[in-house]
Amino acid sequence: MIYKLDVPELSEDAGEVRVLEWHGEVGDAFEAGAMIVELETHKAIVEIRAGQPAVLRKIAVGAGEWCVSGAPLGLCSDSADEELPADEAGVGALLARFEIA
Amino acid sequence: MPNEKIFYREGIARALHEAMAADERVFVMGQDVGAFGGAYREFDGLHAAFGPERVRDMPVAEAAMVGIGLGAAAAGMRPVVSVTYMDFLMLALDPLVNYGAKLRFKTAGKLTAPLVVITTAGAKGQGVAHSQCIEAWLMGVPGLKVVAPATPDDAYGLMRAALAADGPVVYVAHKKLFPMAGACGAGDVPMGAANIIRAGRDVTITAHSYMTRIALAAADNLSVEGISCEIVDIRSLRPLDVGLVAASVARTGALVTLEEGQLACGVGGEIAARVREALGPLPVQRIGARAAPVSSNPVLERACIPDAARVAAETRRFILNDATSRWRAG
Repeated sequence: MIYKLDVPELSEDAGEVRVLEWHGEVGDAFEAGAMIVELETHKAIVEIRAGQPAVLRKIAVGAGEWCVSGAPLGLCSDSADEELPADEAGVGALLARFEIA
Repeated sequence: MPNEKIFYREGIARALHEAMAADERVFVMGQDVGAFGGAYREFDGLHAAFGPERVRDMPVAEAAMVGIGLGAAAAGMRPVVSVTYMDFLMLALDPLVNYGAKLRFKTAGKLTAPLVVITTAGAKGQGVAHSQCIEAWLMGVPGLKVVAPATPDDAYGLMRAALAADGPVVYVAHKKLFPMAGACGAGDVPMGAANIIRAGRDVTITAHSYMTRIALAAADNLSVEGISCEIVDIRSLRPLDVGLVAASVARTGALVTLEEGQLACGVGGEIAARVREALGPLPVQRIGARAAPVSSNPVLERACIPDAARVAAETRRFILNDATSRWRAG
């Protein structure tokens, strides 16, 4: 199954956020609890951790690039060989949690 | 990196970092400016790069910090003093106004005080004594310079200009601008140069700092109705770029001044008078805070501070009712 990873809803006044670092490359597998990506708001670092085992399949916003809350960050899947959909509209969200560092 | 997108706070930190690397006389003092990186992270990375001697955490003692800064400046250093909230700059007005701003005059130019005081103005839910915009108080002090950047690019460029100036500069950041990201051209922004940030035909709206965002939003609303607003970001309050504002008003035929601070003896009143002196009679409308303290109650805070709807409504009423405006005549 394919899952999307979006920028979480952060604080009310967070505008654009910057992707600081991806903790893996496309094709890498994550265990539940592993850090996938770090974002930087105007005042804090936001760590996004996997809430389920997954394989990172697509990075939509690379390190140093900017995005807003709710925007797609990337795609994951249960196994590395699942075909990615052409249309991501119906794709469900990856279980994930974020922590303000 | 030219035109790299950065946060507003990074414009400040970048200019400071470059100046500290280039000139060992530059140092920073203030509350939480050290390892913490500043209340808004505007000093991020400086402590790690330059150490505690040059990035000095200080007790909550504004008068002492500015006084020490001035003494160091007079002795040849180039200090940057952070007063976290502009409200508490009041405690440091004696050293700043009575000594710093006057030093060059009192010594016939033998001494200067190249001090930058960086502070934050504006309402963001913090109540009566952490929300004020008192930059207009400072505009009447000969010898003082006052800048108020509204974008990451100007945050960088005006900090560079402030660090290069030969007299005290008050650098007014705004709490609501810190989340803003934007391109930084890594160029100089001269002090005393306003900037047209939206071209228009029917009315000139002046604003500085966060109120430029409100002016732009109001102009969007009014453009739907066919009212075309030219927005001037004042950027530098003293010296004031009267020439650019007057040239804009000469084209549009009407002036609205917008500020977050109080209207009485405010930024707008000064701009209106100076433009009137340059152009002759002109239709003018001031918009600013209600004559009340800014409450920590969010409803009352919003009621006090101009928002886009109020700016659009007051500009619309002004344009449509003022018989001398070009809009009316045309």
